[in-house]
Amino acid sequence: MSPEHLVVVGNGMAAVRLVEALVAGGWLRRGGALTVLGEEQGAPYNRILLSAVLEGTHEERATTLRDERWYADAGVALRTGVRVVAVDREAREVELASRERVAYDRLVLATGSIPTLPPVRGLVRPDGSLHPRVHAFRSMTDCRGLTDALADAQEGGRTPVRRAVVVGGGLLGLQVARALGARRGQHAVVTEVVEGADHVLHRQLDRPGAQVLTRDLARLGTTVYTGARATRLVASPAPDHAVGVRLDNGHVLATDLVVLTAGGRPSTALARAAGLEVRRGVVVDDTLTTADPRVHAIGDCAQHAGRVSGFVGPAWDQATTLAARLLGEERAYAGVREVARLRATGLDVAVLGDPTDPQGGDVVEMTNPIARSHRRLVVREGRIVAAALVGDLSRVGLVTQLFDRGTVLGPHEAGDLLLPETRSGASGPADLPDDAEVCACAGVSAGALRACSSLEQARATTRATTGCGGCAPAVRALLATDPPAAAGPAAAPTDHPVPAPTGGTR
Amino acid sequence: MTTTHCPYCSLQCGMRLTREGRALTVEPWAEFPTNAGAMCRKGWTSTGLRGHRERLTTPLVRDRGEDGSRGELRPATWDEALDLVAGRLVDLRAEHGPDAVAVFGAGGLTNEKAYALGKLARVALGTSQIDYNGRWCMSSAASAGLRALGLDRGLPFPLADVEQADVLVLAGSNLAETAPPAARHLDRLRERGGRVVVVDPRRTPTADRADLHLAPVPGTDLALALGVLHLVMAAGAVDEAYVAERTTGFDAVRDEVAAWWPERVERVCGIAADEVRALADLLIATQRAGGRVLVLTARGVEQHSQGSDTVLAWINVALALGMPGRTGAGYGCLTGQGNGQGGREHGQKADQLPGYRSIEDPGARAHVAAVWGVDPDLLPGKGRSAYELLDALGRPATPTAPAGPRAMLVLGSNIVVSAPNALHVTERLRSLDLLVVADLVLSETAALADVVLPVTQWAEETGTMTNLEGRVVLRQRAITPPSGVRTDLEVITGLAERLKAPGTEAVTWSSDPEEVFAELGRASAGGVADYAGITYDRIRAEHGVFWPCPAPAADGTAHPGTPRLFAERFGHPDGRARFLVTSYRGAAEQPCEAYPLHLTTGRVLGQYQSGAQTRRIRELADTGPFVELHPLLARRLGTADGEVLTVRTRRGELRAPARVVDGIRPDTVFVPFHWVGANRLTNDALDPASRMPEFKVCAAAVSA
Repeated sequence: MSPEHLVVVGNGMAAVRLVEALVAGGWLRRGGALTVLGEEQGAPYNRILLSAVLEGTHEERATTLRDERWYADAGVALRTGVRVVAVDREAREVELASRERVAYDRLVLATGSIPTLPPVRGLVRPDGSLHPRVHAFRSMTDCRGLTDALADAQEGGRTPVRRAVVVGGGLLGLQVARALGARRGQHAVVTEVVEGADHVLHRQLDRPGAQVLTRDLARLGTTVYTGARATRLVASPAPDHAVGVRLDNGHVLATDLVVLTAGGRPSTALARAAGLEVRRGVVVDDTLTTADPRVHAIGDCAQHAGRVSGFVGPAWDQATTLAARLLGEERAYAGVREVARLRATGLDVAVLGDPTDPQGGDVVEMTNPIARSHRRLVVREGRIVAAALVGDLSRVGLVTQLFDRGTVLGPHEAGDLLLPETRSGASGPADLPDDAEVCACAGVSAGALRACSSLEQARATTRATTGCGGCAPAVRALLATDPPAAAGPAAAPTDHPVPAPTGGTR
Repeated sequence: MTTTHCPYCSLQCGMRLTREGRALTVEPWAEFPTNAGAMCRKGWTSTGLRGHRERLTTPLVRDRGEDGSRGELRPATWDEALDLVAGRLVDLRAEHGPDAVAVFGAGGLTNEKAYALGKLARVALGTSQIDYNGRWCMSSAASAGLRALGLDRGLPFPLADVEQADVLVLAGSNLAETAPPAARHLDRLRERGGRVVVVDPRRTPTADRADLHLAPVPGTDLALALGVLHLVMAAGAVDEAYVAERTTGFDAVRDEVAAWWPERVERVCGIAADEVRALADLLIATQRAGGRVLVLTARGVEQHSQGSDTVLAWINVALALGMPGRTGAGYGCLTGQGNGQGGREHGQKADQLPGYRSIEDPGARAHVAAVWGVDPDLLPGKGRSAYELLDALGRPATPTAPAGPRAMLVLGSNIVVSAPNALHVTERLRSLDLLVVADLVLSETAALADVVLPVTQWAEETGTMTNLEGRVVLRQRAITPPSGVRTDLEVITGLAERLKAPGTEAVTWSSDPEEVFAELGRASAGGVADYAGITYDRIRAEHGVFWPCPAPAADGTAHPGTPRLFAERFGHPDGRARFLVTSYRGAAEQPCEAYPLHLTTGRVLGQYQSGAQTRRIRELADTGPFVELHPLLARRLGTADGEVLTVRTRRGELRAPARVVDGIRPDTVFVPFHWVGANRLTNDALDPASRMPEFKVCAAAVSA
């Protein structure tokens, strides 16, 4: 392939991964050029961690994926704070909001998704901006805005934020709700979640799983209203709160803050306007190419095999696959298994694949509301094809490996995986049979030690405790609990040869 | 009574050998600080090979027929054997050039032997083709230490400093079984209120002594280290002042680890995100309280195709926390073989000259050539690494690679058992025109040789070893060797004198260890591992001397040696440590439909390395290999404890009884590597930087 100028629209996680792979693979060394056009200001960051930044467990700096110097050193032209308004496929140019045009030989759309505003009256003011008490939560700017709102209020001036309503009970909504309730070093914000479906995480969990989770949320101080839609922003029904959220059941939640987390949709306007096929996302084939061979799409904006993902795993896989192809490798994107993890302190949820839809698989599950756990494995042809683990992640590492690798299990294994883990070696030294090895370093049995009357004798005659020293408590216990006088014949030295006092004599 | 050191691992436990009549007894040597009188059963029984019926006492020679058919080994005199070897080597060199002859050394050889072997190769044989089994032991840690810290000494402090750590992270070490006396330090550390963290896919006896045990999927340790640094950064626990003053390169590492949040680590490593957090929280809290964090790595994380990257990533963690250079904190590596440290410093490594010098550095070549009395241009360049050398044996030249060696001289190594992809390596050994092995007994490798040279063993000879602390210790001869055997130094000298290579007329060869050590000291002078100021007398008087120990100053003042490194500066010219970026790739061979499990390998307490010595000692149980697996997997396979299983990989198979234990990951099986078979299974994928083979993970199938 002759050297090309590649232009990436977007500077999110998929775009960064693509650029990293192209740089590492020598795209620029081979004479190619690379321009990244990012709409957000500043260096790209790890969007996954926004709720952790809100919670205070992650410093903002620690989320930076690549700083501006990295782009400069690598020879990549990074332009942030620029909005692409049009793609001219004929001229092979993109047009920026400033009317400037940037030529490309090849274009990658990595525009991500944009939050959808729920149909709540009063959210948006006549000038198009959000009501000052309402925050979206998609970008670092949103996150900073929310953090500032919490801080400003605390510093006085406005009504302090003591209550918040999170609209949306999906992964992001619950993460934000928990982050608000568990902010490091800050007073907790009492948070309520409003979810239109009949249970939280309805895309990932069935009802029993969601119920376990809802109980956990309640325990942590977060109330969930399911089957309820916010319809209108109203005045607060209580004087010490800033605003009210009216639900479709007529109930009004008094609050100081509203966070919108309900849904996003692929950002496809550019592609659509450029005449590329768009259904839910920008349609690409297994090579991540649109109908125009010079235009690709990856990440949340792309639709592959009928699916739009929204998860970082597939986005990265698409990015590395496309980079490999652009660097001349024969690779195709085959889709990847998705694992959704709720990143929220005190809430343990892992969802592998789609456990709500067994598709002919067998379901092995165990729900224990008393212990607040729900685990469901969907097994097809011996393999775990989906799973939900709520409240008990003790086996999450193993189950994820089995799922990711498509390991074929034995007939009992799915059930065994849901049983508590057992650990051997609980009994004390007094219960050891005489032939059990007590001192591994010197190879000394319990019987041989029972034949000794003191620690000194044990050391001198058996070498027990003279290696790593770890057996000393057991040796003492054996000497103490079973002195030679009381020992049975089995403990006699003749049955358990004791090395000569001088050990390795020859 | 003679003080000496155990013949096995890198602790080099001090011991006393006492003779009473014909009996030779091991007694504790409580004053020697590294082990303070403690020893494991291997040490206590180490005299057991003395007078063993399998001990070789006469050279053996195998005659080949006209058609190349191989006869039986028959006894020969030393002169016959050495004349034959020297004659064949001279002929091969004349016909095919100096690189037709290879030399394979070992991390169990004394410093004197390692030094003399390197000199034999470079001077008497003129070959670049020398490497050693330490490549399979220490090379990943060495490569990483050199790049990050500018200097590679396993522990940059005395072992007892470990007790002063507030948190000790053992990444891939099972020291309670592999170096038991060292485990005493863990207990003392915990008595002081410190915490021990063990990272190992198995709950080993070491993990049993830990406060926290993480069991990641074999081959994913790098991801864990990246995830730990991610959380350290996220919490703002980076020691920014230290990073600014004492290091370079942090920003690039910072960006790299931003992508390793705990749930991603969970997915890659197969351990819960909360376990990663628990480890990071310990480190963060300790750092904030002004405490000490110490990370020690060992073969468990190093013997991988990304082993050196994993070490770099853990060094990054230690540097970010501001630890290296503080007493009881920082980073160290737990060396494996007895002289794994000294063995990599004095020139038996393909790219190295004595004193830890690079063979490609003109200044180093000139210095060493002057000590040896040859023209620097006579010294060959860099040769193949251990596995690449074995893989090339007997191969004809190709358009891209020169011909492989046609003869090889092996000292102190049992390659047939210890090399990865061992069936293939054995085939390469068989393809040689001449294989010469010096050993105590007819090891599996000696059994393939054309000439076997019977040599002395540990208590029968004197020489220095450099233990895991960088402490140079002295093994002293306690007994007379059986008649008929020679020391390795005598073998080397005997060959060198017969080879009479042109241009080496001025070179002298000694088989007196103390003379060789003095020459080694001169050759190492001014190098990184400078031994010039160390003498046998000083070692005896000071319980060992830590390198670097340069020659006495002009006024005669002796250098005290260097027990602790890095307090003021690191080994790089600018004195700073380097943060180096590592990108996770994962194991070279991933499980698949046909080979769905991970296989990992390791040691057991009662055996040492290929078992050539320990399997012949009556008091050490020779259990044979076994397959450790989890009850979940045993049930899947329909097997039970004690039933014989077949383990297959793409390279070979092994049959051994099952040991069902709940302390291993259910997706992983473990086989000890002391017996023939385990390494027929292991993968020969190499770490690109260190050339370490991936002993510790490959894909396997297990059936009942």
